[in-house]
Amino acid sequence: MGNGYAGKILRVDLTAGTVSEIETEQYREWGGGHGMGSAIFWDLCADKTISGFDPANVITIMSSPLAGTLAPSASRLEIQGIGVQSTPEWFTRSNMGGRFATMMKFAGWDGIVLEGAASKPTWIEIENDRVVLRDAETDGLWGLDTYDTQERIWNLQVANSDGWREIGTKSGERAALQSAVITIGPSGEKKSRVGALIHDAGNAAAQGGFGGVWGAKNLKAISVIGSKDIDVADAAALLNARFSAREDLGVNVDEPKDGFGWARFSGNPSPAVMYPMPTDVGSRPQACQSCISSCRARFSDGLGNESSCEETYFYFFADMMYNQGQTTPTVRYSAEMVQRLGINVYEIDHGLNWLYHLYQEGIAGVGKQVDIDLPWDTYGSREFIETYQRMVADREGAGDILAEGMWRAAEHWGRLEEDTASGVLHYSYWGLPEHGYDPRAEAYWGWGSILGDRDINEHDFNNLFWKPSIAKWYGIPSWMEAEEFVTKFAERMLPFDPDPMMLDFSEDGMYSEGQVKLTAWHRHYTRFWKESALYCDYRFADFYSPKTEDRGGFTPEGEPLFWNAVTGDGMSFTDGMELGRRIWNLDNAIWTIQGRHRDMVKYSEYLYEVPYGGHLYGPYWMPTFEDGTWDYRLVTGRVIDRERMEDVKTMFYELEGWDVSTGWPTRETLEGVDLGHVADTLEAAGKLGGE
Amino acid sequence: MSDIKDVNPAEDGARGLSRRQFMGGIGALGALGVIGGAVAQVFLLPDEVIAYPVSGGFLLVDQKKCSGCSTCMAACAIAHHGAANHSLSRIQITQNPFKAFPYDIDPVQCWQCDECVQACPTGAMHVDPETGVRTVDQLRCIGCLRCVAACPRAVSAVQWSEEGHASQKCDLCLDTPYMDDEGGIDGRRACESVCPMRAIKFTTDLPEQTEDGYSPNLRTENWASFGYVADIEG
Ligand code: SF4
Ligand code: SF4
Repeated sequence: MGNGYAGKILRVDLTAGTVSEIETEQYREWGGGHGMGSAIFWDLCADKTISGFDPANVITIMSSPLAGTLAPSASRLEIQGIGVQSTPEWFTRSNMGGRFATMMKFAGWDGIVLEGAASKPTWIEIENDRVVLRDAETDGLWGLDTYDTQERIWNLQVANSDGWREIGTKSGERAALQSAVITIGPSGEKKSRVGALIHDAGNAAAQGGFGGVWGAKNLKAISVIGSKDIDVADAAALLNARFSAREDLGVNVDEPKDGFGWARFSGNPSPAVMYPMPTDVGSRPQACQSCISSCRARFSDGLGNESSCEETYFYFFADMMYNQGQTTPTVRYSAEMVQRLGINVYEIDHGLNWLYHLYQEGIAGVGKQVDIDLPWDTYGSREFIETYQRMVADREGAGDILAEGMWRAAEHWGRLEEDTASGVLHYSYWGLPEHGYDPRAEAYWGWGSILGDRDINEHDFNNLFWKPSIAKWYGIPSWMEAEEFVTKFAERMLPFDPDPMMLDFSEDGMYSEGQVKLTAWHRHYTRFWKESALYCDYRFADFYSPKTEDRGGFTPEGEPLFWNAVTGDGMSFTDGMELGRRIWNLDNAIWTIQGRHRDMVKYSEYLYEVPYGGHLYGPYWMPTFEDGTWDYRLVTGRVIDRERMEDVKTMFYELEGWDVSTGWPTRETLEGVDLGHVADTLEAAGKLGGE
Repeated sequence: MSDIKDVNPAEDGARGLSRRQFMGGIGALGALGVIGGAVAQVFLLPDEVIAYPVSGGFLLVDQKKCSGCSTCMAACAIAHHGAANHSLSRIQITQNPFKAFPYDIDPVQCWQCDECVQACPTGAMHVDPETGVRTVDQLRCIGCLRCVAACPRAVSAVQWSEEGHASQKCDLCLDTPYMDDEGGIDGRRACESVCPMRAIKFTTDLPEQTEDGYSPNLRTENWASFGYVADIEG
């Protein structure tokens, strides 16, 4: 098929124990990643109203044409299917970096589709065209943690004395690298709703509970290695684009102050860890394939290798508290344990805060309302976090309840209503944990999540909070004044008019047409450029840069530049946005079939009742337009206004061309994005929106 | 779950390369400087040790600065073959995510020794008379893979190319039909130009050698500002 695509998608029927192929060409119109995943799910998952644990759930694992090429920070993987973490169980997505997408492409596969459930623990070994379903028990994988599983698989795959391994039947099918493996840990094996998929040391796809879904399918791991070509449309253009991306836009790691802490494409290769980097052990940067930067580290004691962000943070304060204000290696230890056990860190983080609060209130403890046996007097120690994590992963004692996710656990213990009204259980949308970018402050994050299926976890606009807030916290001048900052963003938000009012985070701004447009732009942008083309959330979108004369970023030129060099498509940024809108429409059609209705689109109670207190790290400053001027202002102290939220929903549905009373897609809109057949299905189900 | 514990870097670090293996090819003598300027292909020294002219250029990779992104591998294959394929990259960045730094990554680039040249029965693997770069004449390659076996690196820096039906190795980008710029000693090396960590550097000076080959330090003072402690092991 060429030009970025391997040409085939692997289809595995776990029930029958057979494999077959889908021609990628059949789904080429969707670009890759999420678009292809949604389209395949639409076609292959006959009953979309089933539970995610049902063997008939279809899981797609898709790469993009950019994976394995020189496109910067785009060798990622999109995983979709019916998730088991949210309430209700929406069709959902998760995403990971690392080496898997690249290896899968080199093996000749653009993606993998999983159907059915194996009758016994199974793992899948892919070496180029050779695909074998192997016994995970006989091979000693079942029961292992995620690190041990991967090392065991590598030990089963032995190289020649020259360091190269024969991976096919033809001569020349050789690879010097080890296979890339995605696996579940004990948590997934126990069909936990907080089970994650883990690859290498620190790549996790945890949202959606796909670890538990694999467990229900009796699937322990997929290992892949390949030695095939990925053709590109214009090799010289691709090389030139990457040369200049590094010189003109990327950070020069050798030049003092060339980097820029909070920039994206041109950001420093600093590890995204939330604790002070240890100075008593050695470390290096560690990056996903073809990344222009790096955001993780590996250490000379090997502890917490590749962990970043939330997993490095969730036990940080407890560790400090326990150790008289010092951080200890326990933070990295607890991060590594999350990866090894394969647990969704957001769940156990928010869960731990909630349980600790209940313990302090005398509600949680042995024989109490929340009957749980944890060594609370050692909270902050290794012993404590080990006991807690093992309990969740192994479903021991109260862990059996916690493995259902904290929302369901609260329901089980009769705490849901009270604790979501007070906000002690910090779960904002669809029974899922809030992300730290609060809907009461960073409105579009909340709107995107509640109008979709999950915590969006897309950081494109977060620097509108981080940059001014950090400047305020430390009393340093802002790098860019508010008006210039929002203008830089708005100018790059094609195909919308460059209206800075989209970035107005004043209280009125939260409910404005501008914020609704921002929400829609974000849904369309991420659906294609970040989840289908699979540019990394950490490096894109790039709205401003310290490296360009006008301080404008790589977006919207960068995304299509690499896409076109690889695929030869001649796609514009706006074409990608349109495709993103098409994918977003298909997703909404799936949710509609699953039972989505406008009336369900509601936050948890605390967001309407409890004024927002600010970010954990400090007060929340954002650009606002008030009294005729732009400035960075405090956005704390707010609640969501129920009526104005209804206005937002109405405006959003109107903007998307969806039925205002139900939120369902209309025929006109679906036909406008060439999804007439989807409209037919909705109509037959009695779920097509009125015009 | 196995215990989470500190890894002993010393145990993990062995690479199984002897000093003799590495030094052997370049003559076991202090005459390298003399040979370096020569254009003749082979010297027969009095003690019957065959020595080849030293390469006119070397690729240095800072093992502690490398992030394992493999962008260099993608660039190498694309510049030479017009397609991405890690198996066709002439630089191999091997890594194990669970190992302790710095032994988690072993960048395997050609050292420009001459074990492969010595092993080749047909002269296909030869020293380029102009540049001293160890290079394959693919038309003369009979596919015996002796060069692949002879390479002293843990993973052979010489590969078998099914496409070319011959072995191949780093040519310092001399022959890169898919790169606009000229490659080679006076040109651009694709891997060096894409490396985001600037962990690859080309030099015409004979690198300082240790048992582990070349282990250059390409980190500037700026490196520590990112949070990495790369010199803890010396
Ligand atoms: S491009 Fe640079 S940082 Fe990336 S793997 Fe190669 S040498 Fe390492
Ligand atoms: S110098 Fe050129 S041929 Fe050698 S490893 Fe780098 S890209 Fe490949």
